[in-house]
Amino acid sequence: MRSKPFFLAWRILAHDKARTGLAIAGIFIAILLVFVEIGLYVAIPRGGLLLYHRLRFDLLMTSRDYEYVTQPGEFPAQLLDRARAVPEVARATPLYFGSAKWKSLAGGVEPDLFVIGFPPTGGIFSVAGIESRIGALEKPDTVLMDSATRPMFGPLTKGRRVEIAGRKETIAGKYRLGTGFLGLGVALASAENFVRLFPGRGVGDANIGLLRLRSGADPELAAAELRARLGGEVRIFTRPQLEAHEIAYWTIRTSVGLIFGSGLVVSLVVGIMIVFQTLSIEIGRRLGEFAMLKAIGYADGALAAVVLGMSLAIVLIAFVPATGAALLVYRLIRTQTLLPAAMSELQLAAVLGAALAMAAVSAGLALSGLGRANPAELIKRGQRF
Amino acid sequence: MPAASTRLSVAPRRSVGWPVPLAWRNLAARRGRFLRSASAIGFAVLLMLVQLGFQRAFFDSALAIPRRLDGSLFIIDAAKYRFATSEPFSSHLIEAARQVPGVASASPLYAGWFDFFWQNPYDHKRFVVQALGVDPDRPVFRWPALAPLIPRLKAHGTVLVDRRARRFLGMTGSAEKSEINGKPVRIVGSFALGPDFQNDGTVIMSVDTFKELYPPAGVETGVIRLAPGAHAAVVRTALREALPRSVSVLGKPGIVRLEKNFQARVSSAGPIFTIGTAMGFAVGMLIAYQIVYTELSETLPQYATLKAIGYGTGRLVRIVLEQAFMTALAGYLIAVVSGIAIFRLVGGLALLPLQMTPQLALEGLGLTLGISLLSAMLAVRRLIAADPAEVL
Repeated sequence: MRSKPFFLAWRILAHDKARTGLAIAGIFIAILLVFVEIGLYVAIPRGGLLLYHRLRFDLLMTSRDYEYVTQPGEFPAQLLDRARAVPEVARATPLYFGSAKWKSLAGGVEPDLFVIGFPPTGGIFSVAGIESRIGALEKPDTVLMDSATRPMFGPLTKGRRVEIAGRKETIAGKYRLGTGFLGLGVALASAENFVRLFPGRGVGDANIGLLRLRSGADPELAAAELRARLGGEVRIFTRPQLEAHEIAYWTIRTSVGLIFGSGLVVSLVVGIMIVFQTLSIEIGRRLGEFAMLKAIGYADGALAAVVLGMSLAIVLIAFVPATGAALLVYRLIRTQTLLPAAMSELQLAAVLGAALAMAAVSAGLALSGLGRANPAELIKRGQRF
Repeated sequence: MPAASTRLSVAPRRSVGWPVPLAWRNLAARRGRFLRSASAIGFAVLLMLVQLGFQRAFFDSALAIPRRLDGSLFIIDAAKYRFATSEPFSSHLIEAARQVPGVASASPLYAGWFDFFWQNPYDHKRFVVQALGVDPDRPVFRWPALAPLIPRLKAHGTVLVDRRARRFLGMTGSAEKSEINGKPVRIVGSFALGPDFQNDGTVIMSVDTFKELYPPAGVETGVIRLAPGAHAAVVRTALREALPRSVSVLGKPGIVRLEKNFQARVSSAGPIFTIGTAMGFAVGMLIAYQIVYTELSETLPQYATLKAIGYGTGRLVRIVLEQAFMTALAGYLIAVVSGIAIFRLVGGLALLPLQMTPQLALEGLGLTLGISLLSAMLAVRRLIAADPAEVL
């Protein structure tokens, strides 16, 4: 009675549980490695996009000199008035960015703080902690602090008095958004307080403009309309365009893509090496048994299916704990580096795909040589192994 | 069992107590497998080398300017937490420092990181760059390739540009003119520095040109050279007394440590690459363990025979360890060679100072030996426990 190849593969694996466990452990590490590298690769642009992901807008208006979020350039805020005249535009809000020295009244180092100024009307950020504290920002010389601000800024307790850009300010509370690559610390201020902090800047020049469209309006069409009306002085990004622009900036311009991309490639090669090594040892050990199967009438194709089945089974079993461990490592990366490393469905699918590809490639590599040999020869070789 | 019998016949004939030949012959008996094992370990080691190499490159690129400062003591604002952050202090303090006994020269370094907008001379786009202002008569750098270019900066409105800056700045070409902050500048030479995590490129100019392009609030660093025979510690104390508390006086190690501490503790680069290296170590451990484990389970009868004919367990363990070491060393060589190739390629593309320094190669070797020792020790317990009668 001949078993189905995949069932046979399973029986082979279940027969020597210690060895199978070892093989699974090796592949577990290989998959985890791919998870970590891909997590870092994706986290960098995600860190760059953090602020945009938490702002409510359909279209972004920027200066034509816009490079990326912290080098946006400036444009006259009047252009936002002209944008409001477009029927599809429901709302146009200017945002102001500035960098200032943070001085603790107790002395010490003076880290650079990234300050975001905005009209405190609500509905701009999709962060509950900001929306609920917006009233506090209306008092003069108050700021809200991002809770991911580095410890070198000292405690961010409500009511603490600090000096920002040489001005005494009061911390009105904390919110959770994340500093991304904006700086070591990020603060929110009302536009009025922002201008007090940066007297050289008026509300007349905005860094970015958030446009919200009336429900049902098509962002592409509205963007085209705005570009036609406002001319070349500003750029209009739809959400997908902005996403693509920022990802290209972080992965290509900063060579971060190259660094983590090469890490990803090395991790894939290491993965294939591990799976291949594990499988070829497994096949080598069982060469005699495979020869016997061949002798009793298993076709080459069936043997290949057994090897592939073993390979896939090991990889799939290892995939489960590797995903769990990856979640832990992502958490470690989030706490240690403040990079927003996280598991997405796309990532999960990509790594599963890579793992299955590793299994198939290594099964193919390990099989070469097995197919051509005749049973008698194989049995001899198997004995020697 | 023809292969095993040749293996057995060799070692006892040699009277030397050091049984390397047996371990070596064991490996050489299956060259294909040896190469496969070595390259598997090699890739794990390569992974660690690449991570450590990137980490070092990040640190080195951030330290490029502080390391090139040519002085024994440095004056910086007490609030400065890294080199590339603006904390200017009054230039009067440089003059005050010159009066302190033991000081041969005190030279100012002006610097800006957020206020100098360089225009790409080809596509006319503007980008923030790192700008350094030096007094052409009081050099502050120990930088042989730069020194002959510095006198050219005496001409008004001239700059030196970084030809290793990121390509989009357009500093690599042969353009002779550009603009900074909307004012025309003449490019009179170039140096090779390269970008770091914060700066895409660098321009160096005279203090006069610097002040014209962006009026600074003060000096960023004072570079102090000592008179012959003066002791750094003594002069440092004297400077400390002569200058207000708002500035710090640091030695060269101090100024380098300031930057290193920042990069290690506050920036993200340190932990990222440490996690990567740890992953490489875990991968290497598992691969090496698998290799020794497999080797042992297949040759256990042979080892049991050796045990039965009087080989001590210690000697057998040594053979296994030696085999593990040899495989790991072969893997290490593969890793170093391919690492050098990867560093050339990626370092050139990413403009990072990626180099297989002797220190990095040594660290890699240490980690490799650690991997093979740990994994072999874990796997070899089976050999120690092996009972000849039972195994045979």
